[in-house]
Amino acid sequence: MRKTFLIFAFFIAIISVAPGQSYLGGPGAIKDDGRFAASTKQLNQFFRRFNGEESVDGNTRFYPGDSLFQNQNLRKGFLSILFDNQTSSISPDLKNQFIQTVLSPVYPQYLIFHRPGWYAEVDAVFNFKGKREQVTFIMKIQPEGLGYEWVIDQVVFNPFKNLFNKPVGDKKDFLHPLSHELGFMNLRRAFQESNAPESFTSKSYKPDYLAIFLYEMKQGNLRFETVNDVKFHFFLIGGWYFEVNQFNRPGFNTGWLISNLVRLGPGDKETLLKYIYDQN
Amino acid sequence: MKNKVILFLGLFLSASLAVMAQDNISPARKQAIDSLALEKVKDLSKYIAIIGSKETQFSEANRVMDRAEELFAPGAEMGVSSINTKEIAYYKVRRYFERLMALNYDRVNITWYDIQYISDLERQPDGRYVGVITIYQRFEGTSIETGMNYKDTTKKDITIYVEKKQTQIAGRTIEFWDVMLGDVRVTETSA
Repeated sequence: MRKTFLIFAFFIAIISVAPGQSYLGGPGAIKDDGRFAASTKQLNQFFRRFNGEESVDGNTRFYPGDSLFQNQNLRKGFLSILFDNQTSSISPDLKNQFIQTVLSPVYPQYLIFHRPGWYAEVDAVFNFKGKREQVTFIMKIQPEGLGYEWVIDQVVFNPFKNLFNKPVGDKKDFLHPLSHELGFMNLRRAFQESNAPESFTSKSYKPDYLAIFLYEMKQGNLRFETVNDVKFHFFLIGGWYFEVNQFNRPGFNTGWLISNLVRLGPGDKETLLKYIYDQN
Repeated sequence: MKNKVILFLGLFLSASLAVMAQDNISPARKQAIDSLALEKVKDLSKYIAIIGSKETQFSEANRVMDRAEELFAPGAEMGVSSINTKEIAYYKVRRYFERLMALNYDRVNITWYDIQYISDLERQPDGRYVGVITIYQRFEGTSIETGMNYKDTTKKDITIYVEKKQTQIAGRTIEFWDVMLGDVRVTETSA
């Protein structure tokens, strides 16, 4: 524990005295007191620090073949400063277990930008039929054309939540099993007399909220207004889940930091993904 | 016949690898592109300071706005948020500069911190590369009449688009890498 603290303090001290390139304002530039240098300024920097792929001051990118590329001691120092140490309640013990897993000499683990297994959760505001509504998008990176793109994988939208409340068992409306003999003339019950037409769908039916969202958009019923928050979910480290949020506050523990850490047991990953994806 | 197929496949694969190798950006090339991108950001910073200064004549500010606009890809926007609200207000680049020029302060001082961060370059579906440069700006505005003194520090995350282009010089085709600025995210910091 004491050792971790010392590494942490040492790293902050090194980052704080790291000279930035004073290219912008020339002689008139304001000298950073170390806070901006210490801050994990971009998610890109979170990846590089996590993997040990840049110098302590962030000015030099390390590539395969460079002596310090993915250096274990460099990673150890960086990992200790990649956690939100002010508001999150991740126990030091769990943190150490995670760091040990990631830095395992036998099987070190890294974050790979293009590998599936990490998601962005984006909170936005839309105007839906004249009313401001919160919308959450779950997004992921995918290969496309000559490169990569972020795509919307799911939408969470409150007005759609109770749109499909399918009853089950003997409480639900149904088309009786000999409906075919009547040429399904009783479809009338499903489409004219029922206010829950989803009752007549199969057990495996799952509404595609994203399709409905896009349809409403095309109909002109939804209008984008703004984005107000972004966070990231990571399943890239085997047996672990962590969440990364942006912390904009005074001090040295700022920027993109791990705010939630969970050791995954069997089936936990699927449960968490279901929670993230099926918030409807 | 079999040998011919293998030879054809071999040629096809080596041609594809040659194309891929051409499209990859080496660390040395990346460093050169970073320098070029930083020059553009430096120009933008200089223009912002001139546009924001009360000592700049209206006609001169307009001329500088034109120059500043030329640094950006068409349709680029500034997305601005403050400490109090995380919601982003969107402005076209020109509109952002006009708002900066119209600020009601008698004295405006815009300076920059001696730190920046340059991301890796990622390839987009259309083949162009995209990156982000982060810089920090200090703004101070003073109103003599009201005695009001406003200060803030903003983080600016600036998109850069990098594209390989060709030009003809004396009948020869020369390839070069061009950098354009794109959307800018402006976040007020707690510093």
